[in-house]
Amino acid sequence: MTIGAIVVDGVSKRFRLERNRPSSLKEAVLRIARTRHTDEFWVLQNINLDIAPGSFFGLIGHNGSGKSTLLRLMAGIHRPTFGSVEATGRLSALLELGSGFHPDLTGRENVYLNGAMLGISRKQMSASMDDIIEFSGIGDFVDEPVKIYSSGMYVRLGFAVAVNVSPDILLVDEVIAVGDEEFQRRCLKHMDMLRDRGTTIVLVSHNTDLMAECHQVGWLDHGKLVKIGAPGDVVSAYLEMVDSSDNTLHTHNN
Amino acid sequence: MQFSLTPTLSPSVRKSITLIYHFAERESKSRYKRSLLGWFWSFLNPLVTVGVYWFIFGAVYRAVPPVTNNGNAENFGLYLFTGLIIWTLFTGLVEGSMDWLSSVSDLRKKIYFPTETALLGGAASNLVQTLLEVAVLVVIMTALSNISWTLVFLPVAMALALGFGLGLGFIVSVLNARYRDVKYLSGILLNVAFFAVPIVYTPELLKKEQIPEIARLFVEWNPVALFIEISRDAAYFLQVPLWNRFLAAVVWSVTTFVIGWVFFRRQSMSISEEP
Repeated sequence: MTIGAIVVDGVSKRFRLERNRPSSLKEAVLRIARTRHTDEFWVLQNINLDIAPGSFFGLIGHNGSGKSTLLRLMAGIHRPTFGSVEATGRLSALLELGSGFHPDLTGRENVYLNGAMLGISRKQMSASMDDIIEFSGIGDFVDEPVKIYSSGMYVRLGFAVAVNVSPDILLVDEVIAVGDEEFQRRCLKHMDMLRDRGTTIVLVSHNTDLMAECHQVGWLDHGKLVKIGAPGDVVSAYLEMVDSSDNTLHTHNN
Repeated sequence: MQFSLTPTLSPSVRKSITLIYHFAERESKSRYKRSLLGWFWSFLNPLVTVGVYWFIFGAVYRAVPPVTNNGNAENFGLYLFTGLIIWTLFTGLVEGSMDWLSSVSDLRKKIYFPTETALLGGAASNLVQTLLEVAVLVVIMTALSNISWTLVFLPVAMALALGFGLGLGFIVSVLNARYRDVKYLSGILLNVAFFAVPIVYTPELLKKEQIPEIARLFVEWNPVALFIEISRDAAYFLQVPLWNRFLAAVVWSVTTFVIGWVFFRRQSMSISEEP
């Protein structure tokens, strides 16, 4: 498979609901006697996607539609219940606030840790350390433990690492919305640069302006991929659905 | 034809090695964080341990130490210490692996990395600690000129204890991620197990006393006792371990490690889904 490609093949993901899980050994032993009854929840159902290397792919959908889970499957954090996900090349992901940061370590140590997780040695990471610190704009805080960081600092450092490790694939969840306007613009500019360099980018966002920049947009609704295609078509179909449910909401209220 | 001296490693293996090194370094650093003497404690600790046992069992209880090879190092403190090194390595791995896994489980929910690297890194850090203790032992034994080529079996005993402890660690750490009871339960079991292993007493003691055959067999053939016996043969008695007991030790170690590893590889993906 070519580097930078993501192939999602017939993927379904089931989560067990927490309230019915035994939380202690005692409970687990007692439960064996009882009839097994677990609540299951299918977050994703039969998703097929073929993302070409170097493309910019957007994902939209309502809250809880499975967008983030799909991104996590691509990042290899979860394993699909059925089907397979293949993402080749160096994968860098910015999935949630401070993702991949250990709270007790300093910013600098976390940068090395993130590098190690991508298979980048300390030496190589040191070479790009200055760029990362500069891009994040967190200054001297880089030598403080990240648990004292503000949410803006978290996301700035996270993004700085994610884009400065020359990834083949970049997965970005809605986190950049946390940064201020100036930082968001810098992120977008940097993502443009990565895209020009041939990095595959998958972006989850509610920002329809941002979606317009994608090559392709997929719309997830209750765990199913309902529409995939040019950004204009998919976004307008999505907005139409939102509008119509908005109307029904109003009629109910009346 | 060109030959490279450094073996070519696949990217995933190289990535794992970088991570193992990172976790080992972190564990070692955190051990003596904010301490003035730092690594000096690693030497002081075992030294004081030997001293205390020397005093308690030698001077106070007047325990009769088994005869060493050259009769120079007959000391219950040293007899105990050679066993204790292996025991500490073993329990450190079992208890440590639960901490090592839970310290990265939040991280693992947000980013993918091979989770076993956290355990292997922690184990490497523990191994360094054990090597420092071994250094203390070797210095004392050299000073007492109770030293021989049989010392080569000491690293073997350590490797066997490492395989067994890590194998168990792989299993209990995954179980502990699901049920926190495992940590408390294993703490109690290890406390009991300490006395099922001839560390503070000699195996000969069991032959003298009226002890049920089954208990004696258990004390003689349980894996940790076998590893300890090899370490004592190597550094205290200066003799070659009995081949049948050596073989049993290898089988215990390898089997446990393989089972633990397979179990961990199968279960570790679900750690990211634990609440």
